[in-house]
Amino acid sequence: MAAVTAHGAPTLPRSSAWLLLTPALAMFILFFAVPFLTMATMSVLSGNPMVVPNPRFTTRHFERILDDVYYLETLWITVRLGLSTTIVSLLIGYPLALWLARARSRTTRTLLMMAVLAPMMMGLVVRTYAWLAMYSNRGVINGSLAWLGLTDEPIQFLGSEAAVVVALAHIYVPFMILTLSGVIARIDTRLEEAARGLGASSAAAFLQVTLPLSMPGILAGSLLVFALAISAYVTPIVIGNYNIQTLPMLVYQQISSSFNLGFAAALGIVLLIVALLLVGAYNRVMARAPGAA
Amino acid sequence: MLNRRTLLGAAAGTLAMPTLLGAQEANTLRITGWGGAWGEVMRSKHIPTFEKAHNCTVEVDTAFPFVPKLLASPRGRPVYDVLHTNSNEQWSVFEQGLVERRPDLKLVPNAAKTYPYATSDSIVGIVIFTSAIGLAWRKDRIQAAPASWKDFWKPEYAGKRASYVIPANSLGQALFMMAGKVYGKGFKDLDASFKAMEAVKPVRLFDFTGGAENAILAGELDIAVLHDTAAYRNQDKVPVEFAAPSEGVMALEQVLSVTTGTPKKALAHEWINFMLSQEVQRSMAETVWYSPVRSDLTLAEKYRGKLLTTPEQVATLVQMPWQWYNENKDRIDDRVNRIFRG
Amino acid sequence: MGRWFYVLNGLILAFLLLPVAIVILFALNPEPFIAFPPSGFSLRWYDKFLHSRDFMHAFMLSLELGVGTALLAGCIGTAAALAIARGNLPGSGFLTALFLSPLVLPGLLTGFAMFQLVMVLGIGRSSSVLLVGHTVVAIPYVMRTVLAVLANADRSIEEAARGLGASPATVFREVTLPLIRPGVIAGCMFAFITSFDQFPVSLFLVAPGEETLPIAMFNYLRFDFDGTIAAASTVSILLAVLLVLAIERTVGLQNSTRL
Repeated sequence: MAAVTAHGAPTLPRSSAWLLLTPALAMFILFFAVPFLTMATMSVLSGNPMVVPNPRFTTRHFERILDDVYYLETLWITVRLGLSTTIVSLLIGYPLALWLARARSRTTRTLLMMAVLAPMMMGLVVRTYAWLAMYSNRGVINGSLAWLGLTDEPIQFLGSEAAVVVALAHIYVPFMILTLSGVIARIDTRLEEAARGLGASSAAAFLQVTLPLSMPGILAGSLLVFALAISAYVTPIVIGNYNIQTLPMLVYQQISSSFNLGFAAALGIVLLIVALLLVGAYNRVMARAPGAA
Repeated sequence: MLNRRTLLGAAAGTLAMPTLLGAQEANTLRITGWGGAWGEVMRSKHIPTFEKAHNCTVEVDTAFPFVPKLLASPRGRPVYDVLHTNSNEQWSVFEQGLVERRPDLKLVPNAAKTYPYATSDSIVGIVIFTSAIGLAWRKDRIQAAPASWKDFWKPEYAGKRASYVIPANSLGQALFMMAGKVYGKGFKDLDASFKAMEAVKPVRLFDFTGGAENAILAGELDIAVLHDTAAYRNQDKVPVEFAAPSEGVMALEQVLSVTTGTPKKALAHEWINFMLSQEVQRSMAETVWYSPVRSDLTLAEKYRGKLLTTPEQVATLVQMPWQWYNENKDRIDDRVNRIFRG
Repeated sequence: MGRWFYVLNGLILAFLLLPVAIVILFALNPEPFIAFPPSGFSLRWYDKFLHSRDFMHAFMLSLELGVGTALLAGCIGTAAALAIARGNLPGSGFLTALFLSPLVLPGLLTGFAMFQLVMVLGIGRSSSVLLVGHTVVAIPYVMRTVLAVLANADRSIEEAARGLGASPATVFREVTLPLIRPGVIAGCMFAFITSFDQFPVSLFLVAPGEETLPIAMFNYLRFDFDGTIAAASTVSILLAVLLVLAIERTVGLQNSTRL
C-alpha cells in the first residue's frame, strides 16, 4: 500500500501504531501464519507429519506442477478469469457506486443499498445455482428466447468462459460497489462543479476530477474482486461444466478426493505467490498513476 | 450455540479452554454420516434408540469431506470412532493406516446374516447398505430402455446425458472403469477408458449426484449415470426409470470401518452391529431406498424387484477394484482433466 | 446526471436482481426440483424451512457468528488499518500482503490448515473456534475498506486538531473516526456477510450438530434440490433488507456512505 503511506507525516506515534496492530497480528500469527506454515511444510514433505512418522523432504509436489504444462495453463486460466471478472465488475459496479454515493434522496439510497446487499446475502452456493438455472438448456434465458421464438435450439451457455465470468462478476460486484461508493462519497462534489464552471463538459469534469479521485476505491475494489475470483471454486465447477478448470478446483479435488494434502498445499502456495506478485505489481503501477492518493 | 460468554471470551483474545477430554466424552461415539433424508431418519429414529440402549451419545459429523479431517487428526487420537464413507475412500484411509481392515466380526453378530459381498476382499470395513449404479432415463423422452452401458454413448444422447467430474466423484470413476470393460479388455484397460471418455463428449458433468438427479427431474437432460436410490425415490413425481445394464450394475457401497486407535472400540462395534440389525436395515431400505445387506429380509411389495434383496439380484452387483483405482488415480486424473478441458 | 446514467443503472440493477427474483420464485415452486417456469404456487418450502429444527438452529448460529465476526473484525481490522496507514511502520508493504493473504489462499486450504492446528492443540471444534476462523478471514475486508477511505481522508484536519491541543484520543474520537466511518461500516458489513456466507472455512471447523447455514444448505443440496434451500435463501435476503433498514435507522446510511 505504498500509495497510502507514501505521503505526509504520520499522525500516529510508532508505539501506538504497534499497539493498534497487535491484536490483528497476534490473531494472524496464531490462526493464519502458523497453519499456513504447516501447510507450506507439508508441501515439501513426502507425507503428512501428523500421520506418517518420519516424512522425508521432497520437492516432488512442486516438480509435478512445473513439469506438466497443464498446471501452468490452469494457472493462466485462473488468473485470466480473475482479471476478466475484475474488469467486468468494475465496469458494471462503477455507475451504480456513483449513483449510490451521489443520490440525494434517503429512500433511493436505502433501496439501492438493499439491492446491492440482497444478492450477497443469498449465499454463494445458492447464487451459483441461480445462475445454473439461468443458463440451463431449459433455463430462464433459453426458455425466454424459445418462448419469444428467437431460437430453435438452446444456446450452450454452460461450459463457456464468458458464462463463468458473468456469474462470478454477479457474485463479486457488490464488493466493488460498496468499496467504491465509500470512496466516491468522500469526494467533494464542489470540485467537479468548479471544473464545470471553468467550462469543462460533464464528461470531462468526471474524467478529470471524480475518476482520478476515486482511484483508491478502484484499487481496493479491484483487489478484493480479483482475490475472491481467483480463489473461487464452486462457481467455476458448476457453471464451467469441467470445461473450465481452475487451480482452486484442483486444490478442492486434491483435498476432498485424492487426499493428497501435500500437493494441494503446493498448488495453493503457487496460487498465493502468483496472486501476491500480481497484487504488488498492480499496486506499484496504480501508485504511479495520475491522481492516485 | 454461541452465547455471550463465549463471544466475550473470544473477543478478549482468549481461546476456549481445551475441552475437557475424558470424563465428558467417554460415552460419546463420534461417527460420520449423510444429511438429507438419510440424516433425518437416523436422527429422529435410530440414533435415539442406540443412545438409550447403550447409555451414550452419538455425535454425527455431516460436514463432508470426512477423510481429510481424519487425515489431519493426530495418530492415536482419531477425530472419529467409526468412519462411514463409500468404498473407494475406505481404501485410501486404510492404506494410510487410519482404519482397521475389517471390524472384529466376533463383536458384530449381525455380520453373519449378511450377503458375502459385505465383507468381500474388495471391501475395507463392512458394507451396511448398497446402491446400484445404472442408468436413469426419462420415459417421456427416450423410446426404448437402455440395455447396455454402451447405450449411454449413443449419438442421440449427445449433450443430453449426465455424468460426473471424474477426479471428484466416485460414480464418475466407476463409469470410467466400466467403460474399460465394455469397450476394452476390462476395468483396468486405461486406454479403452480414455478413448471412451473422449467419445462421451458432449456431456454434462456434475460434481455430485444431486445435480444430475435434479437435471433428470427437471427434464433438462434425458439420461444420467445415477444410483437406483435416486431414481426410485422420485418415481412418484416424474416419469423417470432405472435401467440395470446387461454388463451389471456397479455397487456404490455404504461402508463402516473402525478407526485405528479409537478408545471406544467396543461401542464402535456395537454401532456397526446396530446398523446391521433387522430393524435399521429394513427402515433405511424402506424410507431412503438403499438395498440392505442382510440376506434374511423381506421388504414390502413396493420395494421388491427394485432393491437388491434376492441372491439373483445381488449377483448382478459388480464390485469395483477401488484399490487399483486409487493407486492409479493421479495418472487417470491427469489425462481425464485434459480430455474434458474445453 | 443525465438520463443515460439512469438507464444504464437500471440495466445494472436488473442484472443484479434477476437471480434474486429467480430464487424467490423457486422458493414458491411446488415441484421438488429446480425447473423453469415454475408449475404453481406453494408455501410448503417455507413451512419446511421454518419448521426444520436444523435449519433454524443453523440460521440463528450463522446470524450470531455474523454479528460477532463483524464486531471483532471491525475493531481489530480498523485498528490495524490505522496503524498501517498512519503509523509509518517498517515493512508496511509486507504487513498489508500478510493481511491480504487469507483472501487469496483457497478457503479450503485455510480451513484445512486451521482444522489441523485445532486438532494438534487438542482444542476441538467449537463455535468459538469458528468465530476466530471467520474473523481472520474477515479482517482483510475491513482493512481494505478502511485503508481505501483513509487514503482520501484529508490529514490536515487531524493535524490541525492536534495543533489546537487536542489529545491523540480526542483527535481519534472527534476527527479520525468520523472520517473513516464509511469505511468501517462498509468493512463491518463485508465481515458480517462473509461470515454469514462462509463456506470453506466452516466446512472444516463446524462442530458436529452445530452446522452453520451455508453448511446445512450444502449438505442438503447434496441430496435434495427442492425449494427449501431457495426458501432459506429468501429469508436471508429479507435479512439483508432488515440489515440495511437497521443501519439506516441507527447510524444512518448518510453517515455510512458519505462524510
